[in-house]
Amino acid sequence: MGNNSGNAYQPRPVSIIRTLPQINEHRLFQLKLEDGGSWEDFGHQPGQFVEVSIFGKGEAPISISSPPTRLDALEICVRRTGRLTNALFDMEKGSHLHIRGPYGRGFPVEILKGHKVLLIAGGLGLAPLRSLLLYLLDKRDKFDEIILMYGTNNPDNVLFKYELLGFFDRDDIKYLYSVDRDEEGIWKQYVGVVTGLFDQAELSPHDTYAVLCGPPVMYKFVLERLLSLGFPKDHIFMSLERMMKCGIGKCGHCAIGDKYCCTDGPVFPFTEIEKIKEAI
Amino acid sequence: MEKRVIKKDALAGIIKNISNDMLVYAPVQDEDNVLFKVLEPGMEPLVEYANTKNAPKNFFFPQTETMMKYFRTERGRELAEVVEDAADAVLFGVRPCYARSFVLLDNIFDDPKYKDSYYIARREKTVIVSLACVHPPYTTCFCTSVGGHPMSLEGSDVVLTDLGDVYLAEFLTPKGEKLIEKMGNLEAADEALDAKKQELSDTAEKEIKSHIPANDIKPWLDENFENPFWDTIHRSCLACGTCTYLCPTCHCFDITDEVKGEEGRRIRTWDSCMSWLFTMETSGHNPRTSQKERWRQRLMHKFKYFVDNFGAVACVGCGRCVINCPVNIDIRKIVTDISKL
Repeated sequence: MGNNSGNAYQPRPVSIIRTLPQINEHRLFQLKLEDGGSWEDFGHQPGQFVEVSIFGKGEAPISISSPPTRLDALEICVRRTGRLTNALFDMEKGSHLHIRGPYGRGFPVEILKGHKVLLIAGGLGLAPLRSLLLYLLDKRDKFDEIILMYGTNNPDNVLFKYELLGFFDRDDIKYLYSVDRDEEGIWKQYVGVVTGLFDQAELSPHDTYAVLCGPPVMYKFVLERLLSLGFPKDHIFMSLERMMKCGIGKCGHCAIGDKYCCTDGPVFPFTEIEKIKEAI
Repeated sequence: MEKRVIKKDALAGIIKNISNDMLVYAPVQDEDNVLFKVLEPGMEPLVEYANTKNAPKNFFFPQTETMMKYFRTERGRELAEVVEDAADAVLFGVRPCYARSFVLLDNIFDDPKYKDSYYIARREKTVIVSLACVHPPYTTCFCTSVGGHPMSLEGSDVVLTDLGDVYLAEFLTPKGEKLIEKMGNLEAADEALDAKKQELSDTAEKEIKSHIPANDIKPWLDENFENPFWDTIHRSCLACGTCTYLCPTCHCFDITDEVKGEEGRRIRTWDSCMSWLFTMETSGHNPRTSQKERWRQRLMHKFKYFVDNFGAVACVGCGRCVINCPVNIDIRKIVTDISKL
């Protein structure tokens, strides 16, 4: 797990196996370790993140999108938005970069076992939740019902489109997709904000765990719905975003009250952060 | 614990002697300021001074340091070396408040899960020699309010106490005792000096003029993340970061890359929670939107969050931020005001 021997800031060399375009300015990168190590030994859990490191450009915290049940490659889904991600988008198959990690507390897969799981994702929030979603599907018999709610702003911005379409053929996952706007009238499912999907779902809050990841504005409204539906507070987990620089609880940037997003999170049980006013 | 006596006029020479075969970081006169600097030939360490402008955290946690170097290849930049250059060293002339700050910083850099090898390597190889505050230097000193004492031994390997005509040298740790042989022929200290020291310790404590209820405000902080009081402290703040840079316990940093031609380096630099960029995410979202939130963070971190996590207030009462704030924001007043709410 944590790099406790040697230098904690020293990143490991990786290469890009392939890049898969997602939507405008979003790509999925498949990575291979170049120091002889294996992803199995890397030991990542769903919901953890890595510091992606490009010498000359810097480092950025990026969530891991692939589950530990699929170890051919480590996948990261990246939005082109800053100095590092711009440099990453200039790279191609075979390019070398570095990563360090895995870091942080992931989703509570042991707690979820045997229970219904409601995954609620907004926009790029699907990137970390996908690691959990695929994990649940790969160990399908360990979990009860799986429900995915995913909202994006418009039909052009649906991430992992083909994987989501693939669920249409499965009867062991319920899926509810929404878009905020559909100006061209092409969207066949729900149009409106993601909380509108609650009206279409039959939920049994007391034996369901809700797991959230999305933009900051989403949490407030989704939390209100979950609590009013009767979800116990300890059945709600959320992945938070902060400017995480060092990833190992030292640099201070990602402080949320007395916690650090990088080491105490990024996944927090709601019960841990409900009293920290600046958390959400 | 070994005790020796050092003649007052011999101390500077002893320190200079040590600097011949070890790195010595000591207070030196630098124009109008006293600053901690690496002692180089021809430089005079100050043994009598009020206090330094900068805190000596710079020695373990430099304002800027190279973490690693890399070079360009055809397939991308590759790591050339991880730079870890800690050498045997003496950190001379720190005040007891500063020595305590290292004990607090150890909680961060030497935590059980992730070790900061840059900090730890320097820390392990460095002997800390403190000069007790027989007369606390400033009216802004408030160490006794935050768990310290002007003649505290905490965090030091060696403590020197000015007894008037001689220094009493207490070698507190094995690392400190190893320094004895480098100090030449020192007389043993007789027990009468202990009584003298105790006397001075009592008067030093009484000479601390400034007292704040630092340990009393946590219950209020626990319950008042949102309170109109937070609107009253930040308005004059320029977000210059002076308080955080001079603070012996502030440890926030940034990591950046710097490239020159074919080579480059990854560097660590001090950062400050007073800056709006500190929490700015690449998406443009900023969880702390104004100086109000940033000031609340600084206060909360020192007097609540650090207490929650490590059981101590993250302030050693040196008064650096009080003396040097360009708009006279006084953390003592803020704490005192909160205690009256």
